Amino acid sequence: MLAFLRFERQRLFHEKKNLLFLIFIVLFSLYFVWSGLTEYRQFQVEKKIFIKFEKEKISQFITYTQYGTLGFRLLYEVSPLNLFFVNSGMLEDVESNIDSSENIKVESSFKGKKLFIKRGYFKDFAGIPFVFGSLFMLYLGNLALVSPAHVRFMMGRLPLKKYYVLTAFARLFWLNLFFIALGLSLFLLVQAGGVRFSKLESGMFMLYILFMVVLLDFFYLLGQLTTVLVRFRKIFFLWLFIVWFICIFLLPEISRINVFNKSSALESAENVNLEKFRVLMALEKKFRDFLKEKQTIPLDQIRQMQKKFAGQFMNSGFLMNAALETKYLRDVEKVIRGHEWQSVLFPTTFYYFLSGEASGKGYYGYLDFMDYIMKLRNRFIQYYLQKRYANNYAVIESFVKGDENIFHARSQLPGTYWFGFLATTFYAAVFFVLAYWRLRCLVYPS
Amino acid sequence: MITLKNLSLEHGDFYLSAVSLQVRSGEIYFLLNRQSLSNDFLFNVLSGFRAPDGGEIFYDECRRILAGRSLPAAFINKVVDTADFETEARIGDWIDFLCRCGNLPRENVLQTLMVLNFNEINLRKKVRDLTPEIFRQVYLALCLAPDAPNIVINDFIKGMEKSLEMKFNKLLWQKKAAGRAILYLSNDIIYAAEIADRVGFIKNGHLLFEADAVDIKDMDIKDLYYKFLN
Repeated sequence: MLAFLRFERQRLFHEKKNLLFLIFIVLFSLYFVWSGLTEYRQFQVEKKIFIKFEKEKISQFITYTQYGTLGFRLLYEVSPLNLFFVNSGMLEDVESNIDSSENIKVESSFKGKKLFIKRGYFKDFAGIPFVFGSLFMLYLGNLALVSPAHVRFMMGRLPLKKYYVLTAFARLFWLNLFFIALGLSLFLLVQAGGVRFSKLESGMFMLYILFMVVLLDFFYLLGQLTTVLVRFRKIFFLWLFIVWFICIFLLPEISRINVFNKSSALESAENVNLEKFRVLMALEKKFRDFLKEKQTIPLDQIRQMQKKFAGQFMNSGFLMNAALETKYLRDVEKVIRGHEWQSVLFPTTFYYFLSGEASGKGYYGYLDFMDYIMKLRNRFIQYYLQKRYANNYAVIESFVKGDENIFHARSQLPGTYWFGFLATTFYAAVFFVLAYWRLRCLVYPS
Repeated sequence: MITLKNLSLEHGDFYLSAVSLQVRSGEIYFLLNRQSLSNDFLFNVLSGFRAPDGGEIFYDECRRILAGRSLPAAFINKVVDTADFETEARIGDWIDFLCRCGNLPRENVLQTLMVLNFNEINLRKKVRDLTPEIFRQVYLALCLAPDAPNIVINDFIKGMEKSLEMKFNKLLWQKKAAGRAILYLSNDIIYAAEIADRVGFIKNGHLLFEADAVDIKDMDIKDLYYKFLN
């Protein structure tokens, strides 16, 4: 075993091409982690400005009516772990406005420098091993067994099974060690740069690295299998590229299109808003009819009636609208769950899903954000109605306590993590066995 | 001693029907066959990668054992393309690895390399940086390292430079002198006349003619060639 470990280390790390590729991966990973760190720091600065602005904004309001109409903004803050997954999230940099209106708004600003932020294209730490690491592993899987002539030559010295298993084991040992060391050293480097991770986040990152390594092993074994299937022919590189393209781009895109098609079964968000608007307007109409009937009523009684109507709204219309919104959110959640299980079926689609959730800007991050908005909005409207009808012109007291207007999104592992892990391991094991079986047929023709 | 008993094979145009021959210890036997591809096929059968359709192969009274276990024979195949052995490791590391995992005596490898006048600077090079001749020296040294009592060779010197051919001949004579039985598959009658003790000609699936090399030297080689190898 030691002889294999030593020899494969020399094969992998004494080759200039491999070294160049590895250095390229290290440098790019470093660059993207640095860029993620810069973005994280910039966000912290902007967060402070945001908090200051929101405090000042409230002090500018004269009446609670103004406060209720304009409301306050809610900022979406991702976990520090996001700096490794800056471009892997499903959401852009979002925020919401909590006010007394019926619509829930989740928006992304393109003002100023945010206009120039272009998300996507694997431009983060998670993207580098995914795109370049997978290609590199496919290539190394292709080179592993060298040629049928070499395999036959080796078989004169040791059994095929032993040679095959130990070669794969030794190569994967060094390659996995490289990617684990890369991930961990960048994690430590970021901590040295002043970013603190909770225990949960650290554990999550370790599990992410574990899946990444299994995914890369999957590509290595796929490369090995492809080589054996095309009988080590030299035209093979085209096949290698096709296989890589299908795995990295085509299958995740098919999965994305599929979830989009499934989401079209959801009711339009506009319909939900319209339904909520109807409920609100029905109450407004009722109040207007009441005023028409009693035109001579004094102003203080009108205020009393307004308060009564508002109370009625809170107990009926608002609850109904909240239920509509919750139901809609749960329907969205069903689509997300379906997509999650579909992602489990193939390693690359699951990697997309996993890195999205690990970034804190994934689908479940969105659901948490919406739940938080609804809770906060519920409390704000009650607060607003109470304050408005108690004394509209009193000094405005901020609704936001502490950092309530910052939503701290968690980096989270999908509930299907271990299923995804097992599915990937299963694929890798199948490729490993299949390649051995084909190699045996190639070396021992019937 | 290498013994083929009623060996029958069929592969495309090539076939052998019930060929029997014996290569004694301390003897170089040349089995001449017109088609190079047929020799490759026969070599695969002799080295255990293919099963014969009939008959048996014995190495020192032992039945043929599947490759991968310790064989009582060394197999030296022709090296068609050195790129087939491009492991991306340095030659020295490759030799170390093979000696460790294949339990090959390192001194045997070095001894053979010395006989071949191998320059040790080449140990620091990779296969792609070596000329095919130099790589063949390493290959040969590794194949002969186990010092097996029997040696089966498939047209190894084909296309080789004369200097290496001479070194190779020297090695064969050394092995012969040490009592090794050597079976050489080829279609080169001139080389056979130069080095063999006995020569067998295969034509139309049969071992048609067997002769001592001394007798062949007295015969018209051209005539033999046209009769059996054309």
